[in-house]
Amino acid sequence: MNGWLWFWTISLVVAGTSFAFITLVVTIKGASDLQQWFSSLQRQNKNDDELHH
Amino acid sequence: MNFSVIDWAIVAFYLAASVSVGLIGKRFVGKISHYLVAGRELGLYLGIATLAATEIGTITFMYNAELGYKYGFAAFAAAMISGLVMIIVGRTGFIISRFRELKLMTVPEYFEIKYSRGLRIVTGVLVALGGILNMGVFLRIEGQFLTIVSGIDTRHIVVVMTVILLLELAYTVLGGMVSVVITDFIQYVLLSVATILVSLYAVYHAGWGNIVAKVSTVMGDAGFDPIANPKFGLIFLVWQILLWFSIHTCWQTTAMRMFSTKGPETSKRVMTWTGFIFLGRGVLPMLWGIAALTLYGTGSLTNGVPAPVVNGQTLAPIDAMPAMLANILGPGIRGIVVAGMLPATMSVNSSYLFGWSAVISQDVIMPLRRVLGKGPLSSRAQIFVNRIANLFVSLFLMFWGLYYTPPGAVYLYLNVTGTIFLAGAFVCVIGGLYWRRSNVAGGYAAMLAGAAGAIIPFFFLHWSENITGFAAFGLAAGGLIVGSLLGRQRVVASEQLVSTD
Repeated sequence: MNGWLWFWTISLVVAGTSFAFITLVVTIKGASDLQQWFSSLQRQNKNDDELHH
Repeated sequence: MNFSVIDWAIVAFYLAASVSVGLIGKRFVGKISHYLVAGRELGLYLGIATLAATEIGTITFMYNAELGYKYGFAAFAAAMISGLVMIIVGRTGFIISRFRELKLMTVPEYFEIKYSRGLRIVTGVLVALGGILNMGVFLRIEGQFLTIVSGIDTRHIVVVMTVILLLELAYTVLGGMVSVVITDFIQYVLLSVATILVSLYAVYHAGWGNIVAKVSTVMGDAGFDPIANPKFGLIFLVWQILLWFSIHTCWQTTAMRMFSTKGPETSKRVMTWTGFIFLGRGVLPMLWGIAALTLYGTGSLTNGVPAPVVNGQTLAPIDAMPAMLANILGPGIRGIVVAGMLPATMSVNSSYLFGWSAVISQDVIMPLRRVLGKGPLSSRAQIFVNRIANLFVSLFLMFWGLYYTPPGAVYLYLNVTGTIFLAGAFVCVIGGLYWRRSNVAGGYAAMLAGAAGAIIPFFFLHWSENITGFAAFGLAAGGLIVGSLLGRQRVVASEQLVSTD
């Protein structure tokens, strides 16, 4: 039981830490991803409009 | 009522903001590939946020907490498998890279490219059936969570379910994947903050030493060792590995995120990093469940585990975690946590609603029209059909959520309903990509045997979930091999293997 308890404790620490760390990185860098994505969608829509005209 | 004015204000502000932001997405939807796969332009960080938000919801917290309550630390095995398998899929690009190269919009679309239009329709029906049955219990369980934490009378659960559904529908129907991704990003940040807050509160209130001692006293070795635990064992672990490989590659909502990324390399990186989030997605709520057992597990024994007793009232194990939150979180914090959980609820539901509706419209209705000799629909008409499918799925969810209660642990019910199509689809996709001999007859045999292997034993023969899941994958693999060896080979022209928007 002790072996399993150690294993699960370490797993819990790794899981919790990576969850918090990745959240922080995604929150900061995701905002610029969002801006780029909006511009790309607008560009695609504009190109489609020009093709139709 | 557990909620104070400040809690209600926080929640109301969040709901208004979220729906308004979601509605902005409609402005960017120009064609069907925008509506279904976000224009295939998602970058790494946005991809991680939307994939994580899609697969982490109140339902995830509830079923994982229930597993933790009932099976202790041994339940962590399921969470670790889900995360590690995801990391392996991401690192290797197993299936997902090839799917992304093919520029698919739905998983069953691959079946027409490799196998036949008929098999695409059959797969579409099974995917929609399994997916909707799977999602059918979400609303009820989410309603339970919200009523218990906020203290709303449980008789009003139907109203709570309806409000949740209408809010999600408002932006999903109009803005499609674009709205879903925008709201997913905000929702991911909020739900993560709530997850971390609740984990800290749970361990602080229950105490780590008490948590370990309680599991040890109640469950003994079975609370720590997944192989010794009678509910799990080796068969469960092998089934979980197969199941999670199939979920991370063929599950419609996950696959749609992979199809929406900028390219195969981005999809691999998104999958890898989200794998690390998946470790916490399972393990942290399971810890909340174990903390709830520690604080409130004093009732009469069921299968060796004491029922939770909170404020003199005996509850079901799945309700122990929200009851704990209602008691340990103070005013304001309770509102922040619910405002974090609501987004989790909405992001999962909107993505699932959207994913299964997309399958109904793209893989059942559209191919059937072509079989009947009708021409293709315009992008605008396809979007309209998707919206109608969305409404249809929503109505079914209300009905099923109200009238069906899963017999055992909710996690296992979700696993089995997913297996209805995952067993066959996973086997067919592997066969299609990596075994030249696989053919249409094998494809039909795999899909039908896999579905029968999941539905009949679970719903009619009442076999255990482990055996059911294992049998379904075995039957599907057997079906593909036998069917392909007996059936005729279909030659697929190389240009057919490139799909276009």
